[in-house]
Amino acid sequence: MSGTPWFLVRKHLRVHWVRTTLTVTIVSVALLLFCILTTFVTSLTAAVDQAASNRIVVQSAVSLFVELPLDYHGKIANVPGVESVCKLQWFGGYYQDEKNSFAQFAIDDEVFLQQYENDLEIIDAPPGDGSLLDRVRTAMRADRRAAIVGEGLADKHGWKIGDPVPLTGKIFPKSDGSAWDFTVVGIYIPKRMNVDDQTMYFRFDYLEETLTQEQDQPIGCGTFFVHVAPGHAIDEVIANIDALFVNGPQKTLTSTEAAFSAGFVSMFGNLPLFFGTIGGAIVFAVLFSVVNTMLLAARQRIREAGVMKALGFTNRTVATLMLVESVSICVIGGLVGTGLAWVLSEGIRGVVSVMFPTFAVAPQTMLISLGMSLTIGLLAGLAPTVMLARLKPVEALRSEG
Amino acid sequence: MISFEKVCKTYRRGGEELRVLASLDLEIPAGDFVALMGPSGSGKSTILNLAGGLDTADSGTVSVASETLNRMSSKALAQWRARHTGFVFQSFNLIPVLNAVENVTLPLLNTPLKGAERRKQAEYALGIVGLSDRLKHRPAQLSGGQEQRVAIARAIATDPDVILADEPTGDLDRDTANEVMELLVRLNEELGKTILMVTHDQVAADRAKRTLHLDKGELADGSAA
Ligand SMILES: Nc1ncnc2c1ncn2[C@@H]1O[C@H](COP(=O)(O)OP(=O)(O)O)[C@@H](O)[C@H]1O
Ligand SMILES: [Mg+2]
Repeated sequence: MSGTPWFLVRKHLRVHWVRTTLTVTIVSVALLLFCILTTFVTSLTAAVDQAASNRIVVQSAVSLFVELPLDYHGKIANVPGVESVCKLQWFGGYYQDEKNSFAQFAIDDEVFLQQYENDLEIIDAPPGDGSLLDRVRTAMRADRRAAIVGEGLADKHGWKIGDPVPLTGKIFPKSDGSAWDFTVVGIYIPKRMNVDDQTMYFRFDYLEETLTQEQDQPIGCGTFFVHVAPGHAIDEVIANIDALFVNGPQKTLTSTEAAFSAGFVSMFGNLPLFFGTIGGAIVFAVLFSVVNTMLLAARQRIREAGVMKALGFTNRTVATLMLVESVSICVIGGLVGTGLAWVLSEGIRGVVSVMFPTFAVAPQTMLISLGMSLTIGLLAGLAPTVMLARLKPVEALRSEG
Repeated sequence: MISFEKVCKTYRRGGEELRVLASLDLEIPAGDFVALMGPSGSGKSTILNLAGGLDTADSGTVSVASETLNRMSSKALAQWRARHTGFVFQSFNLIPVLNAVENVTLPLLNTPLKGAERRKQAEYALGIVGLSDRLKHRPAQLSGGQEQRVAIARAIATDPDVILADEPTGDLDRDTANEVMELLVRLNEELGKTILMVTHDQVAADRAKRTLHLDKGELADGSAA
């Protein structure tokens, strides 16, 4: 029979609007920062989490920057359980200006498109019959200089199907100083986080043939991406590949794609711990500030609590109103901060896309952020709530508050 | 209606004990209007708080509206207060963030009334105290006398058996005090409310049906009005 005057919460939030606005702002800024910092970490590790489970990477045991001989391709392909092998070589060029650096890889186009069928989706291709993927496959075969580019990259430079893209090679400069010529024949979007939309893939044989003309020394390849056939143990295939080259000429280090990506992430040092510590410290500081605010609010409400109790409201009802007020403020702050992070992440990705190409606030991050706002509200409301609940009506009415 | 039997009340603060009521007997029949007078610190508010279930006696029996309050839990006491009592305080004690009609609606949340009925009842109560034209005013926008009339409307909104008023005219000037007393007399005579009112003001006390004098924890019957 006892109703709860929820409208009292709304009235307090509105009448004390300065306090409400300030607290909402503080909480929202903290959770905005939390979301952004967390997203830096998750977008680094997303590639690890989303790696294809049947894909392994062969690289030099010395370092990622040491090339493997090209005839390894055939040898790896002969290892039992190997379904397909794709060369993947970092190109390291820029478009027009050195500021326009982005990732480019020379790949075996047919194998690559097949291996990455579930990782990326073609959204634009030259006109013709068949699916977009089929048309890109045909176009790649037809033109030595063909390349596919991520949508984000294409948008940034205004590239369309058929557009020429000249790149200056920094690792592979042409002897006459001219640019490498590429033609856009496909635009893709990532379907999984191990691929980003800021990369260009082009034909390995174009690189190989051009370099063979330019230099005498044999050319190599940085990595081989291998797909393991179903029914074969990944560990065994990895061991067999590495065993093959144990006596050189180049020892290999083969790992799952996940482990390979993780190795890449660790090049950033312990960024997750660093960001995690900062994020935690911010949220902690905000928690104390909100606790202080709510305690102050409760102290100013002692007399009101006494009146409410005199009117027949139970300790529980009086306390609940206080807790709901604290939680409301914090959850509103959480919604604002998390929403802002979501809105701003697009713009942030534009700025940090070279290092964090998959920068996007994960739904999980948003849920955690909202959960934290709820927790801050509950923790900050706890002491004031208990204080008002325990208050004897007579003492509350006697107070000045 | 209100009955105290051998009621003792001792306050403890720090190590000191202050015995305010020692074996106090008091009998107020239904429909009575009693003014309780006495020196400051004599225990008048204590009696009022015990009668209103805001505080509990150390020993003895406090019975109000045919219920014994001594052994009730704080939750049961709260519910009992909601049903049977209306409080009027010296400093009005309206909720500052609520307007007049919302303040009067507040205690009605503890009744089975629905939203629209609560609103109607609150407006009716404000009509009784003559403030139908101030429904949307916040306490800060009302005069002291108007605030106290809103507080009286709030006290009678749930149609309680007993109205407990602690120096209701203490913060008001003579004319406004007279208006408020007029109102209390009407509540007693026309609506049959039992009223226990603490006051320092002889003029106010004279409007009650009878006056009790409290001194050093002892009650003495005063002259009937
Ligand atoms: N909660 C309390 N703790 C300690 N002393 C109290 C408390 N309430 C009242 N007193 C003391 O008890 C005495 C009676 O108080 P009260 O009933 O308020 O007196 P009155 O209303 O007649 O002025 C006073 O001396 C007062 O200081
Ligand atoms: Mg008093």
